[in-house]
Amino acid sequence: MTITREELAAFADGELDPARHAEVAAAVAADPALADEVRAHRALRDRLTAHFTPILDAPLPDELTSQLRSRDRQVVDFTAARNKLQQRESPQRYRRRWIVGTAVAASLALAVFLPRGSGNGHVDGALADALDQQLIATQSPDLPHRILLSFQDESGTYCRVFSSPERSGIACREPEGWRLRATGAGAKAPEAEYRMAGNAAADVLQKAQDMAAGPGFTAEEERAARARGWR
Amino acid sequence: MDETARLIRLMHGKRQNITIESFEDGVLALLPRLRRFAAGLARDPAEGDDLCQATLARALDRRALWQPGTRLDSWMYRIMRNVWIDEQRSRKRRSETFVAEEAGALVGSGGGQEERVALGDIDRALRLLPDEQREAVLLVMVEGYSYKEAAEIVGCPVGTLNSRLVRGRDALLAKLGDAG
Repeated sequence: MTITREELAAFADGELDPARHAEVAAAVAADPALADEVRAHRALRDRLTAHFTPILDAPLPDELTSQLRSRDRQVVDFTAARNKLQQRESPQRYRRRWIVGTAVAASLALAVFLPRGSGNGHVDGALADALDQQLIATQSPDLPHRILLSFQDESGTYCRVFSSPERSGIACREPEGWRLRATGAGAKAPEAEYRMAGNAAADVLQKAQDMAAGPGFTAEEERAARARGWR
Repeated sequence: MDETARLIRLMHGKRQNITIESFEDGVLALLPRLRRFAAGLARDPAEGDDLCQATLARALDRRALWQPGTRLDSWMYRIMRNVWIDEQRSRKRRSETFVAEEAGALVGSGGGQEERVALGDIDRALRLLPDEQREAVLLVMVEGYSYKEAAEIVGCPVGTLNSRLVRGRDALLAKLGDAG
């Protein structure tokens, strides 16, 4: 009877069908060299298992668990994310870069720049009023537009992330007024796009994270910025 | 911040939220095993955690594609190996651009070499295996999957998985010796 190397390994792993298993078992019992090989296969498995098992009992890094606790909260936890980003100015930066790349690519896939309609992205009407007036800390849940975050970009321009049933987006206060920098789906997209809508808002927040020069505003900072007319 | 988080959750809708939570709880429960597989696949625990992080990001992005009632563990392992393959490819593409920076970083940190010296026999032997053999060895001999399950994760016939496994094993036994 010929036993291939594949079969012998499969025998050691208990992967052969019962009939073939019995045949190989008989051959192994009759041949010390085969028996040694089976032992070696099993010893290798034990050794590999023992080698990697400590990882199972090791504490999980916060980086990984926070990603799962809530993806949205992670994106929204602006201050922490930003500080972390700054701490990354270390020799290990290269190693991290591909992860950042993945996240950014995912976010850009859903955030659409400069929406249809009036060409230059200028904002007026109810949205402009909301951007001018609403504070995250005090805004009423009944209002059509919700402000999710306020921040300053690298040039010091004030920007705010908003959401409404129709769309979400980032608007920045330029000399002439509020201008859209990015938009995503709204909170009340059709049922089929429901998940997409939620993700789009998260993606807009992620985009804001990339644009921002520092942490998101506290209630105090937001109030002060409004007092200065967002300029 | 809580206010914002609450709003975002509202946008997801209640029903949706329940699915997401159970999905994320499921992944959280798998996380120790995913880290173990990642450490072996990426050949280094720190690199493995990076791989884990990228895997979680992709899985969360694509959770709409996971069908409740099917095995989440196989789905996650499949994503992880795909992320790893993608990363290997893009690393190869930009190796010329980044090799200098990476080398500089290692010299600068001074930690790279010690790390390499401290590698155990098993790590070193595993590192030398081609990716396809290493993943077969890890899935079956460390993660404890059957050949059929491992083949499904890898996306190859069982026979192919079996022969990669044997080649990987033989190489390991040759490097490590038979002593258990």
